[in-house]
Amino acid sequence: MESLGIVFALTGAALAALMAGIGSAIGVGMAGEAAAGVVTEDPNKFGKVLILQLLPGTQGIYGLLIAFITLSQIGILGGSADISTAKGLLYLAACLPMAFVGLWSAIRQARAAVSGIQLVSKRPDQMGKSMIFAAMVETYAILALLISILSITGIGGLSI
Amino acid sequence: MAKLPMKRVEIYGLKTRRKAILEALQRFGVLEPISEDLSEMGFEKTDTAKSAATFAKAEDTLKSAIEVLDKYSPEKVPLLSMLSGKKTLSVSEYYNTVDNAGRALDIARELNDLSKRNYELEADIAKCEGAIVSLESWSGLDIPMNFRGTKKTAALIGTFPEPKTEADILKGLGDALGADAANDPLYAADVTVLHSETGFSNVCVFCRREKQNEIEAALRNMGFAKPQYVTKRPPIEEKARLSEQIGADKKQIESNKKRIETQAKHRDLLKFMVDYYAMRIEKYETLGDINQRDKFFVIYGYAPEKYCARLEDELTRKYDAAVEIHDAGENENPPVLLRNNPFSEPVESVLETYSMPGKFEIDPTFIMSLFYYFLFGMMLSDAGYGLLMIVGCAFLVLRFPNMAPGTKKALKMFFWCGISTFIWGLLFGGFFGDAVQVISRTFFDHEVKIPALWFEPIKDPMRMLIFAFAVGIVHLFAGLGIKFYQMVKDGDIKGAIYDVVFWYLLVGGGIAYLLSMQMFVDMTGLGFKLPPIGGKIAAICAGIGALGIILFAGRSSKNPAKRVAKGLYELYGVTSYLSDILSYSRLLALGLATGVIAQVFNQMGSMFGGGVFGAICFTLVFVIGHALNMAINLLGAYVHTNRLQFVEFFGKFYEGGGKKFTPFTANTKYYKFKEEN
Repeated sequence: MESLGIVFALTGAALAALMAGIGSAIGVGMAGEAAAGVVTEDPNKFGKVLILQLLPGTQGIYGLLIAFITLSQIGILGGSADISTAKGLLYLAACLPMAFVGLWSAIRQARAAVSGIQLVSKRPDQMGKSMIFAAMVETYAILALLISILSITGIGGLSI
Repeated sequence: MAKLPMKRVEIYGLKTRRKAILEALQRFGVLEPISEDLSEMGFEKTDTAKSAATFAKAEDTLKSAIEVLDKYSPEKVPLLSMLSGKKTLSVSEYYNTVDNAGRALDIARELNDLSKRNYELEADIAKCEGAIVSLESWSGLDIPMNFRGTKKTAALIGTFPEPKTEADILKGLGDALGADAANDPLYAADVTVLHSETGFSNVCVFCRREKQNEIEAALRNMGFAKPQYVTKRPPIEEKARLSEQIGADKKQIESNKKRIETQAKHRDLLKFMVDYYAMRIEKYETLGDINQRDKFFVIYGYAPEKYCARLEDELTRKYDAAVEIHDAGENENPPVLLRNNPFSEPVESVLETYSMPGKFEIDPTFIMSLFYYFLFGMMLSDAGYGLLMIVGCAFLVLRFPNMAPGTKKALKMFFWCGISTFIWGLLFGGFFGDAVQVISRTFFDHEVKIPALWFEPIKDPMRMLIFAFAVGIVHLFAGLGIKFYQMVKDGDIKGAIYDVVFWYLLVGGGIAYLLSMQMFVDMTGLGFKLPPIGGKIAAICAGIGALGIILFAGRSSKNPAKRVAKGLYELYGVTSYLSDILSYSRLLALGLATGVIAQVFNQMGSMFGGGVFGAICFTLVFVIGHALNMAINLLGAYVHTNRLQFVEFFGKFYEGGGKKFTPFTANTKYYKFKEEN
């Protein structure tokens, strides 16, 4: 049982990268379809819609970030991988906010981005505002990221 | 740091000088005309739509001619040349070119014509090639394909939709015509199968003229049909003719191409003429909106005050016009033109994407620019990336002094953001992530580390978080401060106290009170704690603030109960302060994202070990990885800095709603024209 700690911790890291990554992949894909539609009408809008397409991509990066911090904390990237089961479960729990919120917010943000792309296709001057609509959703991914980071960096100091 | 004051300008000119005055106004480009209807006072407007349409047609002809040139003889454009901006022509060069421009439309028409003819020739070639392919299977036929037979004999030339042999066809004929016909020599038929393969067969049948109908009907029942392509020549001859035709077409296309290429030397003239017509179209559109009478006309418009004197001087002295300059009236809403110092100016375009300041608002660009650069740098926070931004933007701006103003502004903005990023990178110890550490460890077996001047956020995220919140509080309070300034400026001192000072007391007192609580100080790991007496004072301040908001925020209502209810609702707005401050945690998240992903790439690069091979792999991973990371995080920093400005900062004081100043000027594509002094 003692050796299961590292298994749980790695599961957490994998989940963060996995679910947030899936969310971003779906999101960027959705926005990309909408963006391609706009570019068929007006190739000059490529730069603008590309930025909007990329917005739901950040969750995947946050997931990677959490996974990486976890990996370096639990010693998978060199160092001792001796972690108690309790600690392993704590790492798993710490990764969950990023995993779930990352998955969901990326998809929801993509829907805001798709609407933003449609807005830009009709009124290119409203680019700034359409970006803000999508960025509003990302706030919650950032809050989840924050909690995950604070938890992961805090677990190391616990003596259980 | 301000909006340029706008004046209302009224120009009265003689009709005989109308053209000259309009052209002068267009060259100055400092007047935004107002559309006003003075028909009740006996003024009329000229309908210029027809002339404008003629010019638009000419412009289209020229534009498509330039497209033809770009297709057949593309210009050799050096890399990054799209940044080099428009060429400058002086007024005398302009008039010289206009005088020689008579031929431009003829050249353009010829080019369009040549290109159209080439399209037709290419279509013809495709048609001929198709015909040759379909004739391929008819090579065995040595009579013309449309041969109908002689007086006594009928020739049936056609195809079956399946492979057939002569025996098949004869048998089919025999079955269809019946036993009587089999023995009747009148029904004799001579069948030649010229070609047979899966899917079709080509056949030539001879029979007696009087039985042609019966035999043809029988054949049709078996699927016989006329060939798709019929010629009056034997197929071999026709093929030769078609090949010749293709050769001739190709030659013609080549010669057309050559002609287009020789005409490419007129490209600059065509471009000039596109601009010329664009300017004329604009001029005529403005002309169509001018109020005119028998002998004179009036133009109303807005112009920035600082240009008014020169405008008046030029127009009265050179063009005998009368110019009156007034302040804009009470219910007028003059357009907005911003003017800021070189440091803040680039951020104007960010403000513009939100909204121009409204009539009674001040221009927040300067204060916004300070925070903009500060926050952007904090989010990207890598000295290496900052350095790249500084060098890249500076190089481009200096290399292409003529570039389009919008691009230049953006590059300058990223230049300042780059400086901020560089400084934050040094403070947080990031130079391409931990590149120095990884390189020295992997290739020189001796770890060197650039120490952070302040602290490393990844090692102490809580400290960074608190710092981010502190930055957020300063940012929000600065926004409230601008609101205070604006209200005092408008003479609403009471309102400034009710709407700003009470909030300062409430939020500031609340934060100070938190700092006096042991639990909060422990949680955040702050090194200091306010003494209990400080906590008490803070609590009292917050109480006064809350009470003030309850009593005065709803002051627009006369009914006291309604007023307090409104005040309570306003007090509930304190939750928005909480979420606003929490929103600044993105400073930590995005800062960490840059650093950690950079570290991931460095680590991936170092996995190949030391030595020459390792160095090559490391360089490859390093370049690609950091380019990617920088691009993504630049985008992230840009978007989220904008968000913090638009949502959190502007939410406190800014409404916008002004209209951007768009003067009557020459919106050209290729050239700009310089006024000679």
